[in-house]
Amino acid sequence: MTIADILFKYQEAFANGLATTFRLALIIWLVGLLGGTLLGILAAKWKVLVGIPSRLTSFVLSGMPILVFLFWLHYPLQSLLGVVIDPFITAAATLSIINVFAVADTIREVLSEFPQQYVTAGQVCGMEPLQILLYIQLPIVLRQSVPVLLMLQVNMLQATLFASLISVNEIFRVAQQINSQIYKPVEIYTALGILFLAICLPMNGLALWLKAKFTRNLSER
Amino acid sequence: MLKGSNLVKSYGDQKIIDQASLELAPGEISVIIGPSGSGKTSLIRMLSLLEKPDSGQIAVDDYNYSFPLSKQDKFVPPWPKVTVVFQQLFLWPHLTLLQNITLPLAVGKQSVADEKVDEMISLFEMEKFIYRYPNEASLGQKQRAALVRALLLEPKYLLLDEITSSLDVEQIAIILSHLKDLAKRGIGILTVTHLLHFAQEAADRIIFMDGGKIIESGGKEVLSSPKHDRVQKFLSVIESAS
Repeated sequence: MTIADILFKYQEAFANGLATTFRLALIIWLVGLLGGTLLGILAAKWKVLVGIPSRLTSFVLSGMPILVFLFWLHYPLQSLLGVVIDPFITAAATLSIINVFAVADTIREVLSEFPQQYVTAGQVCGMEPLQILLYIQLPIVLRQSVPVLLMLQVNMLQATLFASLISVNEIFRVAQQINSQIYKPVEIYTALGILFLAICLPMNGLALWLKAKFTRNLSER
Repeated sequence: MLKGSNLVKSYGDQKIIDQASLELAPGEISVIIGPSGSGKTSLIRMLSLLEKPDSGQIAVDDYNYSFPLSKQDKFVPPWPKVTVVFQQLFLWPHLTLLQNITLPLAVGKQSVADEKVDEMISLFEMEKFIYRYPNEASLGQKQRAALVRALLLEPKYLLLDEITSSLDVEQIAIILSHLKDLAKRGIGILTVTHLLHFAQEAADRIIFMDGGKIIESGGKEVLSSPKHDRVQKFLSVIESAS
């Protein structure tokens, strides 16, 4: 049985698994990018009130393996609270929290390190605050942050595989289930590898291209 | 008239500017000289109202600012009527030099003809590098771009902070002649420089600063026959070094 045969025979199962993976990734991306950007802006603006708690949480999260955090939210926490939550929601929440703080860290850092002199230059040229925001601050901040955020989102997509370990029927779990039926690990996991390469490599390539094209040295020589 | 009276600025216990008063008339070129850390840049930042003094008054023509500003006072920025070219230039890194020059015109209230932009680019011999980004340009090229950006805004008072520091003799001569031309057209120019010959050539008025104070000011005689010992000592050190 070739890879093509397996993909064809189990196309519905693969498609469902892939759909679950993308649904999960989409939630994580949206919550992470929107929530993280908002948190990052607030953290840069109110350094003590929001910035310190945000960085502290991010620091704690960075020391905890994703899998341990996911399992902790799935088993002990739900047991302590006496609730049972759909594994898909638990996985989406866990990875979204991680993404929110990672995005917030990036945005806060870019905003905090934004050279104030570029705003000053706009002011003395008679530009209005909104014009300075639109034509100077925003383009520079986006150029500095988008490549980093893109690579981060690729990592989050890859992290969705952990959801299989709490029984979310995403693509990796589907592949495992099919393999347990027909035992063709080389073909199945090669196909899975190729699939992820096909999705992640262009995204990483785009991030690198954006970084090379738009990220400029902000220091004054 | 751009006028600062009894300006005082402190950071903690340290007085950066101490009772400084000066006037810049339209069409006049004033040059500030003095040792490093004497408060020259701080004074420029205050006169341009980028930094607010702790006390004192600043008048931009008929508009008066009295410091400290009261909560009722609405701050009306004087830019680009008063504009500044900084030593660090502050060119926007995501834009080419041409875009740096034209952005304030494109979004602002000034209407400057394309021919005028081309004329300035040509005058400062910027054609060969005008499409470069700041990180691809030399310091001298960036200095010319920063100066042209300010000049195209047609300010009434132009404040320059060490803008000749990385220019060669020929470019300094071009800028000198251009500044004189601008002054003839009624623009008041206040410039900080460490180049005494530039000050000698350009200045209608020389201002010597040290320790945040204006120690001596006057015509070109400040350079040839200074009255104050501190100025004499400063000039003799500069002359012996050169």
